[in-house]
Amino acid sequence: MGYEAILVLLLAGVFLIVLANFLSNLLSHKSDNPAKREPYECGIETIGPTWIQFKVGYYLFAILFLVFDVEVAFLIPWAVVYKEIGTVALVEIIIFLFILGLGLAYAWKKRALKWE
Amino acid sequence: METILFYILSALIVIFSIASVSSRKILRAVTYLLFVLIAISGIYFLVDYSFLGAVQLTVYGGGVIVLIIFSVLLVHHIELELEVTPLKKKIIAGLISATGLGITLWAIYTFPFTNATTYKSIEVADIGRKLLGYGDGGFILPFEVISVLLLAVIIGAIVIAKGKKLNE
Repeated sequence: MGYEAILVLLLAGVFLIVLANFLSNLLSHKSDNPAKREPYECGIETIGPTWIQFKVGYYLFAILFLVFDVEVAFLIPWAVVYKEIGTVALVEIIIFLFILGLGLAYAWKKRALKWE
Repeated sequence: METILFYILSALIVIFSIASVSSRKILRAVTYLLFVLIAISGIYFLVDYSFLGAVQLTVYGGGVIVLIIFSVLLVHHIELELEVTPLKKKIIAGLISATGLGITLWAIYTFPFTNATTYKSIEVADIGRKLLGYGDGGFILPFEVISVLLLAVIIGAIVIAKGKKLNE
């Protein structure tokens, strides 16, 4: 593998960003006043902390995503050797996907996919 | 060349690990952890273990980090900074870390490493052949059991997250 290419790409990327930031800092016109420091928002200014607690629904979707992410990690080696093994591989993966599909069906049934 | 890349990646891992445990803003700590995980996948690619590198990127860099970020965002007072660790706890943590480092170094230096005479890179196809092999030395049963485990994860997550609503 051409590690040199990766290193050159890495250095070029870092160099380009640093250079662009440095030049724009050097060339830009600088002015400062209180109005500039206000957040870009319409309407009235926010009062109190703007961090809020998220809904637990997000967590559910994240964990469903993670499960199917792991599934992909197992599908990749299957896809590579599928032709070699043939029909048996198809049956094996259908069982695998069926069991996982049960999970999705359960989530659907329990209305976990519904945004409330 | 590989040595240089290895040291760059190792330095990134060490720097961001320290940043992750010493950052007092919890969301920043998670971001540093993401950098650590990506750098680790870089190490995997460097030692020519591309499948594990890809899994590290998709599952850890993609999935687990999303999960951690959401669990952080579920915390009530996220805007608060973590309190400064007392000196006593810092010393204890330092001692434990030093012990762990010592044991690891001792294990590495006393292990009789021998230079490998034959080099064989493990391809994704090898893993697939083992995983789906139904004959001798195949792992098809564990492969199917994995799907049952993932099913248990889905059901458990739904039961916990939905809580009382399930009973209604």
